[in-house]
Amino acid sequence: MILIKKIFLFFKRESKLFYRNIVDLFSNILFFFLSIFIFVFALGTDEQLLKSIGLGIIWSLLLLSSTLSLRRFYEEDFNNGVLIIIHMRGISYELIVFLKILSHFLFVQMPFLISIPVASLLFNLPIYEVYNLMITFIIGSLILSCLSSMSASMNLLNKANFSIGGIIVLLFSIPIIIFSVGINEIESDYKSLINILIGIALIFLGISPWASASFLKLAIRNK
Amino acid sequence: MLLINNLSFFRNDNLIFENVNVSLSNGQVIQIRGKNGSGKTTFLKVILNILISKTGEIFWEGQNIKKNIFKFYNQVTYIADHNTSSRKLSVLDNIKFWKELSSSNLSDDDSLLLLETFNLKKYLNVETMYLSSGEIKKLELLRLVLEQKKLWILDEPYNHLDDLSTEILNQTFVDHINNDGIILFASHYNPVISKLEILEFN
Repeated sequence: MILIKKIFLFFKRESKLFYRNIVDLFSNILFFFLSIFIFVFALGTDEQLLKSIGLGIIWSLLLLSSTLSLRRFYEEDFNNGVLIIIHMRGISYELIVFLKILSHFLFVQMPFLISIPVASLLFNLPIYEVYNLMITFIIGSLILSCLSSMSASMNLLNKANFSIGGIIVLLFSIPIIIFSVGINEIESDYKSLINILIGIALIFLGISPWASASFLKLAIRNK
Repeated sequence: MLLINNLSFFRNDNLIFENVNVSLSNGQVIQIRGKNGSGKTTFLKVILNILISKTGEIFWEGQNIKKNIFKFYNQVTYIADHNTSSRKLSVLDNIKFWKELSSSNLSDDDSLLLLETFNLKKYLNVETMYLSSGEIKKLELLRLVLEQKKLWILDEPYNHLDDLSTEILNQTFVDHINNDGIILFASHYNPVISKLEILEFN
């Protein structure tokens, strides 16, 4: 019972921090839209072309914009030692990571869901593709949150090479892109692809708390 | 009580400290003194199991802390030498978070009174990043009273504090040892506390 209370408390703090950092979210979404505009202007006014490559572009830009906020995943909590204090109050590092992933998924990834239909409008995507895109984004962004957590915890002690974290996330997100964009190519049996995506998400959700927690412990011991 | 037995710590094969034996019983306060880089902070972190030593054992109330670490943590307040309050949250938000996280019984009125003692009540809804370093340190030290734990482990608690706040902190220490509490702190400042014992680090 006390643990559940503490978990709620953790989410309350995360939501407050999210509210204070809401400008970050707006700038991420702005980055996403500006990049789409740049693509549209660069490709010209060929409606058929935009329609055929729109989905791929939206997905790649969603990936890139989610790597923008990567460094903030654990950095502040790690540097000021809040992670240690929360751990000392009876929450294991694994649970902290799991809660962080969930809050990242809710507060950082889900707001993008609103921007997807608007972006699809710019590419004149058919409605079933927008629908597929949103479903695959919900599953894919959970995988992305797990990947971000692992990459961010890996790079806590890395003060020099900032881009390596983004590279790790982009590298492992290739399967997400393949299965997410592939859904629209197979018209008859797209449910199997969604099942594969859910499978990947569950695997990552299973692995990442333990992997990230060991990276966190390693970083705390070597700080 | 806290018993530290034959504790040694190596970092990358460099010896930081060797064979430290300390025993702390209820109502005792120990100050760790030593030069910069003599391993005071490392020693405190090893006691808290944040850093893990290869040799030596630590017992809390007769039990090895490694066997039941959360039982030990449940009795400890640790004030690090940096600020653990979140910069983007207000003073009130930070205090509420610490209080609820440690399941403290302190009432809201009492915590407001605490803020007033340290002259922080006027910043109640101000984000912590706008406070001066002394004020942030005072906010940090409020956790000692907020969390209501028996063992206090502090790293440089006197940094950035003015004379009045130093006096209040000394008085808080005295009150805590009179209530059978245990205090272990590392500091370069030498406070005037009647029962203070010194542990030298070379």
